[in-house]
Amino acid sequence: MRLPTDCHKIWAFAARSALVNRRNVFAVFEMLFWPGVAIFSVGLLTRFLKLDPETVTFILIGAVSMNTIQIAQLDLSYALLYSVWAKSLKHEFMAPVKLTHILAGSGLVGLIRGFLVFVVMGMMSVWLFDMDLTRPGAWGLGIFLLGMFLNAAVIGALVLALVLSFGQRAEVAAWAFSYLMLLLCGLYYPVSVLPPGVRELAQLIPLTYFLEYFRHFYGFPLESAHPLIYGFSQSLVYLGLCYALVHHTLKAALKRGTLLRLSD
Amino acid sequence: MDAAIFAQGITKSFRTGFFKPRKEVLRGVDLEVAPGAIFGILGPNGAGKTTFLSILATLLRADAGQARVLGLDVAQDAGRLRERVNLASSGAHFLWCLTVEENLKFYGRLYGLGGRALTSKVDELLELFELTPHRRVKFERLSTGLKQRLALAKALINTPELLFLDEPTSGLDPEMARHIREEILRLNRDAGLTILLTTHNLREAEMLCGEVAFLKDGRLAARGTMPQLQERLGLGDRLSLFFKDGPAPLDYDRLPGVLTRNTEGNRVDLRVDRVEERLAPILKAVSQSPGQLLRVRVREVDLDEIYHEITH
Repeated sequence: MRLPTDCHKIWAFAARSALVNRRNVFAVFEMLFWPGVAIFSVGLLTRFLKLDPETVTFILIGAVSMNTIQIAQLDLSYALLYSVWAKSLKHEFMAPVKLTHILAGSGLVGLIRGFLVFVVMGMMSVWLFDMDLTRPGAWGLGIFLLGMFLNAAVIGALVLALVLSFGQRAEVAAWAFSYLMLLLCGLYYPVSVLPPGVRELAQLIPLTYFLEYFRHFYGFPLESAHPLIYGFSQSLVYLGLCYALVHHTLKAALKRGTLLRLSD
Repeated sequence: MDAAIFAQGITKSFRTGFFKPRKEVLRGVDLEVAPGAIFGILGPNGAGKTTFLSILATLLRADAGQARVLGLDVAQDAGRLRERVNLASSGAHFLWCLTVEENLKFYGRLYGLGGRALTSKVDELLELFELTPHRRVKFERLSTGLKQRLALAKALINTPELLFLDEPTSGLDPEMARHIREEILRLNRDAGLTILLTTHNLREAEMLCGEVAFLKDGRLAARGTMPQLQERLGLGDRLSLFFKDGPAPLDYDRLPGVLTRNTEGNRVDLRVDRVEERLAPILKAVSQSPGQLLRVRVREVDLDEIYHEITH
């Protein structure tokens, strides 16, 4: 590994992602409009139902998580979709770049955008709906954020593998994966209310444990003894599996001519 | 000296669908290209030109065979090889919302350039391809010619030793195509760049390539310089003799270098192996015979004829 050279390669993908976002008016919608709508609608619902402050926080943190993960995974998911849409994929892979450069560069921008969405939504929730975001402390918040970003990375890497296999048809997967995952992990409800069978599936999703960890600061019981151990270990295993999957898909794409087909 | 490109027995087939037979695109192609050459790969649509070039450019894996570019195996050493080669193709495609300069910087960074080295390389290429006035124009707003120039500029961002050009002037107007060809020749002459290009344009191949190879149905049908191909295919230059009152009574078949003869009215059409050598003795023989020669027309063999001969 040659550090300065690798940094330039990572920066190439980060700078490109940042420029595309800056020039895309819909990126503002992604970061402000939809998260804003989500917080307002969910927050007003909690007000209508006259919920206690702990339950309000329980539900609002679900809305915040959903949007943070959605935005954080987008840059990673779009890293190759930009090239597919521009039909420039073969030029990117003609250069001496590795998957880690793509993942790190695009992931960095996703992380920053996800963090900004978290801050904006968190502030709106505190200001408009009296959510108490400070109770877990900086450490608790930091761990929760890290957990969300790891989940976003898993989704993003999965979409990358799909893009390399199916091209731009995979765009829909960028949204579908996160919605499916968020549905199962107890976003607005404890996983105990899920029907049997689905509940077991929820235990295979790391975000389930990070949400549980965060919510326990507000008096909600822990359903597993060591949520952070489960959450982080699952995240790392999935990340490793996803990396291997993307790597394998890239090799298959070189054999099948997918890179060329996606550049035509 | 080691060959810049060495390929042996390259085969490639693609799946065309479930339960359908694989389509064989390359069936054992061998090729050797010397360093510093401009080598053209010609052939009809579907002959496998782009597939072959893509295998050498590390964008596609061959099913079988061995290929080495600049001494590196295209499959095993793809990473190291990519640092030393680059590619430009027809119908340039880059990220639409980035400017000319941003696109070049993006690719420069992918090759590990940064800081002043990147800025000066980008400035140099913008200047070289007369793109400086358009540096802040987004790619989607560029004309086809400017896009193609950007594609060539991008292909030189890493100062490659070998350049792959896939139909580099396809879709360009004649003036821009000429400009690009001059640029390719200049790069080869000044920087000693080895260039492998595919083209449909036979004039372009004649103008640029020292040597060409013809692909047909996934096989290398012929390769060589123009005179070599001409000789191998038995194609002669055309020499037409126009007489006033019927052809001179000569045994044309016995004249030096004559391959074939055809008489039509007052005209005699000869195929001659090397017209520059044979013209003088043939004219001397004609002048010594009673016929009155009015006019002589010479047409050298061109790539069109060679192409037609090979591909039909």
